[in-house]
Amino acid sequence: MASAAAPAAQSAPPSLSLPPSQFARLQPHAYLLAHLSPPATSNQPSIRANGRAPSQFRITSANTGSLTHTNGSAVVRVGDTTAVCGVRAELLPTEDIASWSVSRSAAATTNKRRKLTDPTQKLTEEIGDESDLDADADDQSHIEDLNLLVPNLSLSTGCAPGFIPGAPPSSLAQSLSHQILALLHTTRLVRAEDLRVWYQPPNLGAEDLERHNESEQMDVDAEEAGEKDKEIKAFWVLYIDVMIVSLAGNPFDAAWASVLAALRDTKLPRAWWDIDNEMVVCSDAVSESHKLTLRGMPVASSFCVFEADAAAGWRAVIIPDAEEERQIEESNRKGVQRRWILADPDGYEEGLTQERACIVVDKKQGGKGKLVIVKMEKNGGWALDSEELRKLVDISAKRWEDVRQVIGQC
Amino acid sequence: METVKTKDSAPGAATRPQRQRQSNELRKIFLKTGLIPSASGSSYLEFEPSPALAAARSTPKSLIPPSSALKLACTVHGPKPLPRSATFSPNLVLTTHVKYAPFAARKRKGHIRDASERDLGVHLETALRGVIVAERWPKSGLDITITIIEAEDDRWWGDAPDSHDAPWGMMNVLAGCITAASAAIADARIDCLDLVAGGVAAIVSDGDDAAPRLVLDCDPAEHWSILSACVVAYMPSRDEITELWLKGDGSKAVLSADDKRLGNEALLDGAVDAARGAHTVLAEAVRESAERYAGLALGGPAR
Repeated sequence: MASAAAPAAQSAPPSLSLPPSQFARLQPHAYLLAHLSPPATSNQPSIRANGRAPSQFRITSANTGSLTHTNGSAVVRVGDTTAVCGVRAELLPTEDIASWSVSRSAAATTNKRRKLTDPTQKLTEEIGDESDLDADADDQSHIEDLNLLVPNLSLSTGCAPGFIPGAPPSSLAQSLSHQILALLHTTRLVRAEDLRVWYQPPNLGAEDLERHNESEQMDVDAEEAGEKDKEIKAFWVLYIDVMIVSLAGNPFDAAWASVLAALRDTKLPRAWWDIDNEMVVCSDAVSESHKLTLRGMPVASSFCVFEADAAAGWRAVIIPDAEEERQIEESNRKGVQRRWILADPDGYEEGLTQERACIVVDKKQGGKGKLVIVKMEKNGGWALDSEELRKLVDISAKRWEDVRQVIGQC
Repeated sequence: METVKTKDSAPGAATRPQRQRQSNELRKIFLKTGLIPSASGSSYLEFEPSPALAAARSTPKSLIPPSSALKLACTVHGPKPLPRSATFSPNLVLTTHVKYAPFAARKRKGHIRDASERDLGVHLETALRGVIVAERWPKSGLDITITIIEAEDDRWWGDAPDSHDAPWGMMNVLAGCITAASAAIADARIDCLDLVAGGVAAIVSDGDDAAPRLVLDCDPAEHWSILSACVVAYMPSRDEITELWLKGDGSKAVLSADDKRLGNEALLDGAVDAARGAHTVLAEAVRESAERYAGLALGGPAR
């Protein structure tokens, strides 16, 4: 920058105006404010510095299944933020779970689910209740107790200058990883049934007989043991790794969209208990593999609140300033906006705002049903009240349609 | 932990992918700069999938991929001031960092860099240090970070784990890293002596009685065994090599009757030829980057 400015100063008389990009660097707050509140005489619409309307999201694109060594993968670009997600499935045999054999013997006699440590969970669920998957309300307990979903988000990919590669994960990366984990658990996106590898004594079905014809004789005495002998031999553990390749604001929306798209793409091989080798074996045939059946399609939308008063962020940590609120009310009546809610903030806007909101919504029955708010989070200020949040939910609902189209296409 | 069994368990059920290129033909390289705007320079590199992999993608039969194709992203941050605690340096301090994504290879990688990743970082640093005109930026640092999204295989997956057991895939990865880093450095407008490109050649044998032959840009999954392989970082216009890494023993290999070169010499020449091929792609990508920069400079001030 300096080297470019020096020859210009010699040749021409120095001009007093700065080019926009330098003004943006020197006075970021005033720059964004000038864009959002243009003088009334200029007839220009209120628009963000990046050319978007306040409630407009960046262009989103997604691509799935391009990574070779994954069970499911996705690349999602939201503007200049790029997230690559790969899902890998590994088997967790139940004999490797320390507390498994204890609880399993109890389950075998009562034909009930493994008793859970959490007393609030109901204990009366039948094993293998496949007919009504949505009804099995606490099948998530396996996923949560055994940590069958292991998401991790990495920012140390050189995605932005602030993150030093090789250093321990930054607090932002850790918190994003945890948010993804928490959202996977609360949305109950993955069904535990998809992750279980069952074993049923082979003398029940004709198909099983055929497969285990060598072990037939020794299983004859097990004939009277029926459905209740069906047991879980292993679980699939899904390692969900998100690499933020390029960071230009709003990493969570991009990361969550990539996780969602990758899980929709995930194929698990057919796995069964091989009684001769006493181990779980898998088939590599694509025709026998099954896709995950996800519950719904939650979509995250993030927002930030830009205050016209540059010092608002400093006061935000103390107490609501009644005087300032009154002024904002007054100027609102006069038609002067002092506060903007910006959807899908880019890196520049994130640096200028304190208050954030994240809303995750889903629509039942593939968009025809009613809107469900899965998660609503806001922090950093008090500008967003219930009325504003209601508007944001409407915006998120529109965003849900857009993202569904993008992810549905791939 | 996971045991993979082919459907009918016959040993011939899955076949090794065959090399369909000429022995001096390289895989196509996709190289693009400037995809990561927050970095001062960036590039993305991808190798063309082998025919076997492309077939497995279009009509999937088995969940086990026959081979894999390199995909990596490289970012350059800097030149930037060194931290206050750092001692004075009259030259640009180069830091290279190569990390595999956890899902990059057949076996899940850990989050902490392992020995092979550090090794790649050191090799890359050597390759680039001789290219950058470091004395133009005293007291500055340059961070080069490479994220490998998909790595190359070390061998065909159906081979026994200890057959020709050397990390041959790493050499292809290193060549890709060098080419991509070179593009990213040029994209960051850092002065270099030349565009350095990476190239790989290998002496392979496709059976016990088959004569060893020299192939450029070998995909380790496609060969029965690799006797030796070589990767160079090469500057074509100066005809200089900044990094040379040779693995295996190909010194006694007789390539053909009319070729009097020693095995290692032939290998080195082959690697340089491969680097020349990669250089044409690199030059094209850098030209694109320069045009974009010029467009920015005309339309408004550059970044």
